[in-house]
Amino acid sequence: MRFLLISICLLLVSCASYPKKQHFQLDNSVSKSIENPYFSDETKDYVYKASIDVYDKHFGGLLIIKKINEQEHRVVFTTEMGNKLFDFTFTENHFQVNYILDELNRKMLINVLKNDFKVLVSDNLQVINTFSEANTNVFETSIYNKNHYYYFENKQLTQVVRTKNGKAKVQFLFSEINNHLADQIDIKHHNIKLDITLQSITQ
Amino acid sequence: MRNLVFLFLLLSVTMQAQTKMSATEAQSLKTLVKRQALTTKTIVSDFTQYKHLDFLSNDIITKGKLAFKTPDLVKWEYTEPYKYAVLFKNETLFINDEGKKNQVDMGSNKLFKELNNLIINSIKGDMFDEDAFVITYFKTDKNSEVHFVPKDKNSSKYIETFQITFNPSGDVTEVKMMEPSGDYTKIVFSNKELNKPLPDAIFTH
Repeated sequence: MRFLLISICLLLVSCASYPKKQHFQLDNSVSKSIENPYFSDETKDYVYKASIDVYDKHFGGLLIIKKINEQEHRVVFTTEMGNKLFDFTFTENHFQVNYILDELNRKMLINVLKNDFKVLVSDNLQVINTFSEANTNVFETSIYNKNHYYYFENKQLTQVVRTKNGKAKVQFLFSEINNHLADQIDIKHHNIKLDITLQSITQ
Repeated sequence: MRNLVFLFLLLSVTMQAQTKMSATEAQSLKTLVKRQALTTKTIVSDFTQYKHLDFLSNDIITKGKLAFKTPDLVKWEYTEPYKYAVLFKNETLFINDEGKKNQVDMGSNKLFKELNNLIINSIKGDMFDEDAFVITYFKTDKNSEVHFVPKDKNSSKYIETFQITFNPSGDVTEVKMMEPSGDYTKIVFSNKELNKPLPDAIFTH
């Protein structure tokens, strides 16, 4: 019986949502949908110098993101010298690989990239729950059936956290923000040794 | 009326476009370029790279400097809008990415090795290998343009055609690499200097 109680307690603790563990209060009085403005302007060509550290290897290249229309984004990665490494199309419910270099054509890698870039290009999200503390609002959303928490500090999106079982799995940090453009974006994976750093060279 | 003028302008631009060379013209261009390549010991040049992706509003423009020394030292250095340099030396590719240094052994990587050869040969313009490419010769206003279509199925997956523009003295002024998708990378050389003595220090990592 005691064990049952303990395990129920444990279960309850681990079920507490991620922001609650970070001492945020549930507050569903705010908006029902949120916007990520950083890749939402159809007139802009978003170009980032990317640096990828995976295990002990370091790669560089250019990440190019374009909002094609209301429903569609293109995401292309090239080397600094212009060779295309991959080319993806994202629509609301569909993902397509237009091109990928044979050497990179691995299901696991494509999945990681798909999940990460989907977060960057999702510009309008339905809110499931809202939490707040001081000047920070946290919005719980779902992308590809995974929990994502959007942190807005003083109404500016500064962070997205993907969680699993109440633990942060991937963190997206937006900084040096000017006119709806995040000059610096860091994607940090906590379960695999993969860090992606993006520095804007948008012209 | 304005539209008519515009149409004429457009027409005259199109009419200036390339025409095919005769076999004799092609042969003399080949001889000129090969002679030029043989006497070229060093090259320094500025370059501007245009990355064209059909879905973008504008090409992505990057700029930098190129240094070449026979037989096979090449330094390709981007200076704007970021600092990134690759040095091809002794079967190794040395990369300096904003100060982060890295190297790739090309001996073990066929793709890099081929890429290296292509870069060196296209800088010199000497890609006239009929076994490796289907070659077509064109003349434009003053210049010549040669299209190299790789016969190897593996390379043609990345690059469908190399289009190299030569000035009247047989120097490469522009290299355009067309991808099967229609996207391309165009590199335009400027301030090119041949056979200027180059210190080895340029080619250190």
